[in-house]
Amino acid sequence: MTTNVSGGKAVFAEEHDAPIPYMQRTRDYYQALGFSPYRWAHFADVPFAPLRVPLSRARIGLITTAAPFQPGVGDQGPGAAYNAAAKFYKVYSDASDAKPDLRISHVGYDRRHTSAEDINTYFPLDRLREAVTTGRIGSLAPRFHGSPTNRSHRVTMESDAPELLRRCREDRVDAVVLVPT
Amino acid sequence: MCHQTVSLAARHIEADGIPTVIMGCAKDIVEHCGVARFLFSDFPLGNSGGRPFDVESQTQTLELALRVLEGAPAARTTVQSPLRWSADAAWKLDYNDLSKLTPEQITERRKEFEMVKAVAKAKREGT
Repeated sequence: MTTNVSGGKAVFAEEHDAPIPYMQRTRDYYQALGFSPYRWAHFADVPFAPLRVPLSRARIGLITTAAPFQPGVGDQGPGAAYNAAAKFYKVYSDASDAKPDLRISHVGYDRRHTSAEDINTYFPLDRLREAVTTGRIGSLAPRFHGSPTNRSHRVTMESDAPELLRRCREDRVDAVVLVPT
Repeated sequence: MCHQTVSLAARHIEADGIPTVIMGCAKDIVEHCGVARFLFSDFPLGNSGGRPFDVESQTQTLELALRVLEGAPAARTTVQSPLRWSADAAWKLDYNDLSKLTPEQITERRKEFEMVKAVAKAKREGT
């Protein structure tokens, strides 16, 4: 939707039609609830590794924040309320030629505008398989990996990220696609 | 939290020499952290892979991510998908919108959050 500037030629989008400022919204929200503001991870330096093989010959790894369905810990289906009991705290891996049942009830996705009915919106394994079939990418790693989502930067940086790297190295991947929820 | 987690993981993997690309919907969190390559979809959280039941949009989203993986000239490369969630951008106003909450609702939300934290803590300590 756009706004016409009266008498002028410029036609601008609405002010709010910009990427949502999630850090600010979250900060304001939890402050209003009485909690101290969260310090988001922030770095000045950013590592960069060039892609060394053409994608048509590359082995691609996939990392997700979705959780395997756990029977007996409450509703994890589409539209379920936030379900902390469905969280997981250790990196997991599963075969990428299987059909995993992964859910996102354990994280804060947009429950008002997202139904979470189609796994492909948060876990693009089927689309990656098709990319192998068409020859766009060489192959998929034999496993994909699941990353816990932890409020603690320290746990992520000192425990989970090194474990994910170790598994990606074992899989001998040429590049990794990471898909947060 | 998901976007921060994968940003930290991507940085760690990239620092060891493996190129990465993030497909995500929270632009500020990923860019604030700082990553090598990012395909940003301006969609509600939960749709990093494209629109639900729309294979074409999912294929297009992955293809853009692969192009970013191949073509990024330097770190902090963000490409924004041209896909729109809807013609009306009003959905962007809703996320954690305090203006629509009464003081009673805020108290209720605080209680809920305390409860969720307790459940997560019990689960964490049990594993």
